[in-house]
Amino acid sequence: MPEIRVERLLKSFGSLHAVDNVTFEFPDASVTCLLGPSGCGKTTLMRMVAGLEHPTSGDIFFGDRRVTDLPPRKREIGMVFQYPVVYKGLSVRDNIELPLKSEKLAATERKQRANEVIELLGLGPSADKDPSKLDNGTRQKVAVAREVARQPQIILFDEPITNVDATAKLQLKRAFKELTKRLNQTIVYVTHDQTEAMTLADRIALMRDGKIVQCDAPRELYSEPADRFGGWFLGNPGMNFFAAELASADGAWQLRSPLLPGPTPVDGTNLRPGPVTLGIRPEQVRVTTRRSAEAVPGTLLRKSIQIGGQYLLVLMAEGLGDQTLKAKVTPEAGLLLPDAGDVWIRLPHDRVFLFGEDGGALAARVGTVHDKVPA
Amino acid sequence: MTDSAPIVAFDGIAQQYKRLRVLNGITLDIDRGDFAVIYGPPATGKSVLMRILVGLEEPTAGRVMLRGFDATKIPAAARNIGYVPQSFALYPHLSVHDNIGYPLSLAGMSAHDAEPIVRHAAEMLRITEHLEKRPDQLSGGQKQRVAIARGIAKQTDLFVLDDPLAGLDFKLREQLVEDLRGLQADTKATFLYTTSDVVEAMTLADTLSVLDGGRIVESGSPERLYQRPGNLRSMHLVGFPPANFLPASLVGQAGALRCRTSLFEVPVDVTGPLVGDVVVGLRPEHVRLSPGVGGNGRSRAGDGVSMPAQVLLREDLGGEEIVYLGINGQSLTAVDRHQLPAGELPEATVTVDPADLLVFSAANGELIGHGQGKADRATGERHA
Repeated sequence: MPEIRVERLLKSFGSLHAVDNVTFEFPDASVTCLLGPSGCGKTTLMRMVAGLEHPTSGDIFFGDRRVTDLPPRKREIGMVFQYPVVYKGLSVRDNIELPLKSEKLAATERKQRANEVIELLGLGPSADKDPSKLDNGTRQKVAVAREVARQPQIILFDEPITNVDATAKLQLKRAFKELTKRLNQTIVYVTHDQTEAMTLADRIALMRDGKIVQCDAPRELYSEPADRFGGWFLGNPGMNFFAAELASADGAWQLRSPLLPGPTPVDGTNLRPGPVTLGIRPEQVRVTTRRSAEAVPGTLLRKSIQIGGQYLLVLMAEGLGDQTLKAKVTPEAGLLLPDAGDVWIRLPHDRVFLFGEDGGALAARVGTVHDKVPA
Repeated sequence: MTDSAPIVAFDGIAQQYKRLRVLNGITLDIDRGDFAVIYGPPATGKSVLMRILVGLEEPTAGRVMLRGFDATKIPAAARNIGYVPQSFALYPHLSVHDNIGYPLSLAGMSAHDAEPIVRHAAEMLRITEHLEKRPDQLSGGQKQRVAIARGIAKQTDLFVLDDPLAGLDFKLREQLVEDLRGLQADTKATFLYTTSDVVEAMTLADTLSVLDGGRIVESGSPERLYQRPGNLRSMHLVGFPPANFLPASLVGQAGALRCRTSLFEVPVDVTGPLVGDVVVGLRPEHVRLSPGVGGNGRSRAGDGVSMPAQVLLREDLGGEEIVYLGINGQSLTAVDRHQLPAGELPEATVTVDPADLLVFSAANGELIGHGQGKADRATGERHA
């Protein structure tokens, strides 16, 4: 299966660069999610790969083949859209077999391919029904099945589960995982939903303002954001950011922040003294009523129950001005805390990120002593 | 009228459109200064109740008490409620500024008097820099802020916000949820807020009222409803992902009562009739997972029960995972804070502490007891 390469790809609408000079490779035989907020250019980028939009400049290659000027049907790709495309009046099986007929496949081969995808997607009970009798989620499965049965080398998915209900979403996610485990197509999957991307992707390409700002495996993207945007966009809620100060003392770097009890050693390269941004994910912040030398005193303003019984804590600490800190703690830890009042806040050093003035992550490690983090 | 009277009291409110009964006797007090959230699945009549409160609909039966007086027949304009309707429309030909000020001028306020109120509302919603723009120059989230600003640009002690964040993407909601709490702290007014998003409801509410089937199922602090729901329906509705429920039956006798499900049998403490069908409720965070396969569904007195499970899907939310499991045809949902190793994991071991189980009557859904766990995890304290 070929990889997809885009080179210096630009799509402008007037003065707006929807896709801004992107050079990127979608590796073969894997799932790459284009993730980003609305208007980031992810759909435009995918539509150019599909041939539905022509780039203002730049090139697109499938393997060694330049496809920039080819019309969509000559690119030999499969596409699944936000709204399922199915033909009413034809059974699910016929829907799946229809495109195979135009490829002049032998009837037995056609039947076999249809049976395979019907089984793979769990469409057996619906195989002889008319799609108009099916719910939206199952219809979308039919649309997926039809594209998969054609066995194109590349399949593009454009927010395929955005418009189905919660139960069907889960079914489609499961089906998609099963499918991609067994197939080795090059898959591009566009979504604005971080959970979907984190769940389905081999790699996530995070987009903002027409550019790919980071591309990594889901867990790496989450735990090692390349810039503030990645820290903010992923996570629920996203990363906390606070102004901090980097200083050098006796040839070593020190970090000063109201959230750290004292100057804290920093190890890193290309550092400069001055203001930096300290970032920490809410679920990494430790909050207790017990005083400790590694913690700073703070005030718990509010606590509320979140996903899975975790508690979201809204906290204040001296030196943060009117900015609040959010912490997400385990159900057990949250139950032990008062509804409001005095607490101690600790940031595990190895979970603290530093960002420069341009928002990019600094190559720095906070704390030299290895931090043992209790669960 | 006294200040100690609830600012709003719904007294047996029913609403029926021809044969369709939407509200079926809503009796609920809203306390002064509260951030009160009415939460329920979509299309359960939350908006209808809000429209009755602000005076856009008259109920089929019941009374709306407002600031201690019967307001059922008082026209909307005289109720002095700041209102953000669920589907708002901004006036396309008016600037953001004039959109926000429109209800004030409609109420006869001079532009001079309205100006500081409009400015203040815009400041609170952080749209000051957009005041001179027209709605079509704004993003969806900015428009929503304008609609909220228009609703709160009013000097009153009561604001009604009817699912104001519906349809926004979740990063925007995250920001606006925080803004709304701040807004209430600033104005010290009573906020009555509806939503069909349970996490939003739990995050915002001082008092959470669950509306379902035309009735208030239960009302209380989100923490109380979550930790100690009074009935099966509120355990099902309050919490995400939704709790697990297993059909079960009580066996044994007083003092040594056990609860038998298709997955396990555990000792329980139950009040009321000691035989018959029950339903066991189990929160996803209490379905504890470990890699590898073990357990047989039995427990010795007070120990956890373990059993092997098939992992059907792991949904990664970033900070945590929702894990969908199958055990002998029974599905179970778990939440894991990345204690499980990443990557392929076809099977895992599920462990349940019986103390985490709640027991409901199968007949009427009322909470009747709980499982018996380890001695040092006394349930009374844990669930208080």
